[in-house]
Amino acid sequence: MVSDLRSSIERAAPRRKKWPWGAGIVAVLLIAVSGFALTRGGGPGAQAAGDGKPVHGGTLQFALIDYQRSPDPQWGTNYAESLIGNNITDKLTWQDPDTGEITPWLAKSWEYNKDLTEFTFHLRTDVTFSDGTPFDSAVVKANFDQYVHGDQKLGILPNGATLLPGYIETRTPDKHTAIIRFKKPLASFLQASSFTANAQPGFLSLSTLKLSAEQRTDPKKVIGTGPFVYQSWKAQVSTVLVKRKGYNWSPPALKHQGEAYLNKIVFSTIPEASVRTGSLGSGAIDATLDVGTTDEKSLADQGFEIIHRAVSGTSIFFNFNSRLFPTNDIAVRKAIQLGWNREALKKTVLTGSYSVATSVLGPSVSGYADYSGSVLTYDPKKAEQLLEKAGWKRGPDGIRVKDGKKLVVKLLGINNLVVNKPAYESIQQDLKKIGIDLQLTVVPIPDYSANVAKAKTDWNITAANRSRNDPAVLNLQYSPLLGNGSYLGEDSTGVDVDEVTKTLGRLELTLDPVERKQYAKAAQDLLLDKYALVNPVYNPSQVIAQAKYVHGIIFDAQSRNHFVNAWKGNGK
Amino acid sequence: MLRYLALKVGRALFVVWAAFTLTFVLLFVLPANPVDLLFDPAELNTVTSEVREQAAESYGFNKPVLLQYLGRLGHALTGDFGNSVQSGRSVTATILDVLPSTFVLASGALLLALLIAFAIALIATSTRRAWVRNLVEALPSGAVSVPVFLSGILMLQVFSFQLGWFPAFGDRGAKSLVLPVITLAIPVSGPIAQLLVRSFATEFRSGYVTTSWAKGATRGVIVVRDVFRNASLPALTIAGITFGNLIAGSVITETVFARQGIGRMTQAAINTLDVPLVQGVVVLAAASFAVINLIVDLIYPLLDPRLRATLTVGSPRAA
Repeated sequence: MVSDLRSSIERAAPRRKKWPWGAGIVAVLLIAVSGFALTRGGGPGAQAAGDGKPVHGGTLQFALIDYQRSPDPQWGTNYAESLIGNNITDKLTWQDPDTGEITPWLAKSWEYNKDLTEFTFHLRTDVTFSDGTPFDSAVVKANFDQYVHGDQKLGILPNGATLLPGYIETRTPDKHTAIIRFKKPLASFLQASSFTANAQPGFLSLSTLKLSAEQRTDPKKVIGTGPFVYQSWKAQVSTVLVKRKGYNWSPPALKHQGEAYLNKIVFSTIPEASVRTGSLGSGAIDATLDVGTTDEKSLADQGFEIIHRAVSGTSIFFNFNSRLFPTNDIAVRKAIQLGWNREALKKTVLTGSYSVATSVLGPSVSGYADYSGSVLTYDPKKAEQLLEKAGWKRGPDGIRVKDGKKLVVKLLGINNLVVNKPAYESIQQDLKKIGIDLQLTVVPIPDYSANVAKAKTDWNITAANRSRNDPAVLNLQYSPLLGNGSYLGEDSTGVDVDEVTKTLGRLELTLDPVERKQYAKAAQDLLLDKYALVNPVYNPSQVIAQAKYVHGIIFDAQSRNHFVNAWKGNGK
Repeated sequence: MLRYLALKVGRALFVVWAAFTLTFVLLFVLPANPVDLLFDPAELNTVTSEVREQAAESYGFNKPVLLQYLGRLGHALTGDFGNSVQSGRSVTATILDVLPSTFVLASGALLLALLIAFAIALIATSTRRAWVRNLVEALPSGAVSVPVFLSGILMLQVFSFQLGWFPAFGDRGAKSLVLPVITLAIPVSGPIAQLLVRSFATEFRSGYVTTSWAKGATRGVIVVRDVFRNASLPALTIAGITFGNLIAGSVITETVFARQGIGRMTQAAINTLDVPLVQGVVVLAAASFAVINLIVDLIYPLLDPRLRATLTVGSPRAA
């Protein structure tokens, strides 16, 4: 009744015409714009390169996924933390990324005793921290002491305890000699002294070491000897480094004289892949780490340069639980090694920056041996024969059965690398064909960590990788006394646990290159062939896409980046 | 009136305490050990028990759970939530650091969302063309159903990568605020607009409007002068929901636009089981939520004379 009255009044009123049309058009436009993304044009990546002579100055805008949770370089487990740490601190030695050889850096030379329990480093005398204090043996001692033991009062964790097991002390017979002593032989310490990955032994000034964890979140107070110093740090967003004035001690192997070329580096954290690639395309950034496999080709087509290096250490591995049914059967382990198509993985999942694993060690680690012609090959027929012989018969659903129990293999993996899941799925499909049901649980790091605690009893396979460019990484990862990656124990059927312990342990007993090579080969033979404790999958890579005018970004032996040698052709 | 006040304040305090306790329980029920997450996952088996114990001890994770709870609660009462496990920094300082950034983003988005919502309601009520009304009324549900993630990326594609008008990431002044604010405002405006469209329509049909018509007022005058004032009030009732939407949306907005903020920090803290930090954030969110609802409860009687009458005459429960 009321509405009737209203309508009649309203109808009597004169109609105004213009604005509703306007509103309608605006609304339509809004919808159109929000549902419409233009295709990208050619970015500044297409610009030509310079004449090859380094240009001084300029600011490098560099993007990555992670951010530094604290500017303290001795702490930290992500790439942003290790990468930035490498540019504000220096190490005792530099590992050549091509040969794996340990070369001088802050230490001019070194020697070690026959037992490999005492390492004597002769330090450079011209090195200073950015606050002007000298770098000497007292600094080395203070750093290593805190690095290994932590400091409860300051809230500093024992970050280096895992890298330097059995550290006793550092002796300082004179200002420029430091003797580092261990309880047990530790051949891998020489490589550890160059370590640039997570929780790295980069030297901090004595004033920094006195600060609590909380005080170290003030970047200006974190003092190193590196080619760059902190200008600012904003958690979640960015870290800005500026060139260290007077720096003149980059590793001799780099053949870089004097200060860094760049004036400034801005590390911007961009969690979204499409925003990283888009920003590179629009010229907002000069280079980005963490390039996804699916973006590599399109960025290259846009004129950007893709540089990459495989992570040195182990490949991405399937570690078999030697105590849990059904991976306690060596026939099952061998069948898995033989049962998946490496060519298919390469074609459908990996890009040119990645490679299929041919050993448990990455090809860049000294002592690496190639098993692609023997145990690590695709031979489904042989795999099936092995299973048949061991009593695994095809069940009604195609999955094999033995003693009434199905051949179900449970895998625990991490989804931190984009390639992992598709790679594992490719293997899963192939194994199904030979009657193995590989069940995948590929989860984020916290869930993985939670499950590793129960891996001994719950998981047949744990899939991960370990970044350490030294053959002794096999001892760390697989020795029953240390990482025990395949959960060896008394009830591991058919495995001589003592033999494994001794064979792997030998890697820590010598630094003689020839002997080490033999020991590394023996260790790989044992892990891959004799006991088949691991199925290596692929070699992960760190991939950078950069504009053509960016030069000289270094991938070190741990595939972390150094910028002392980096420059921009346009000098901006 | 005093009882009403005490009741509301008491409820607010209970909500904050419950949030604190629930987070604590949840984080301890989770299977992962916060200490494990301090190490490289591939190295977990190699970390010696002494190192693990030392790490646990420095954060107090080695004490019995009940003691940890009481200790944390006691400190929390004084505003001390301990130190973040991941950065070693005090939780309060960490939160205060990123809070302004989120506050600016959220207030900007709220303002824009209100503008959008009122514009939609006004247009839908004022127009006499059915197709315009239908189109405009469809917008709120559209706004809610487009994922923030998608609208953010689209916005970046067009206005940042293509046109280069705005920076794509980081916190660089007002310019880098525009796209995130729009992205966050869109989903937040949806529920407000829906509510307003309905309440505008209801008020538009009430008796006093008819009186105005009879007195000769035009449609525009009626909508702006009479309906607007009365129909706006209900928007306050969903202030709590709006706040929730802002916080939820900020997690994704801050991630897409690589901004510093509470949302992104919360996500990282949960992913790494940073117990002290998660607690600090949850308590902050719960407290804000409680305070907002408390203010709405207290302010409503002042704005609505009918409610005031029931309060002074009848029992507070009637509210």
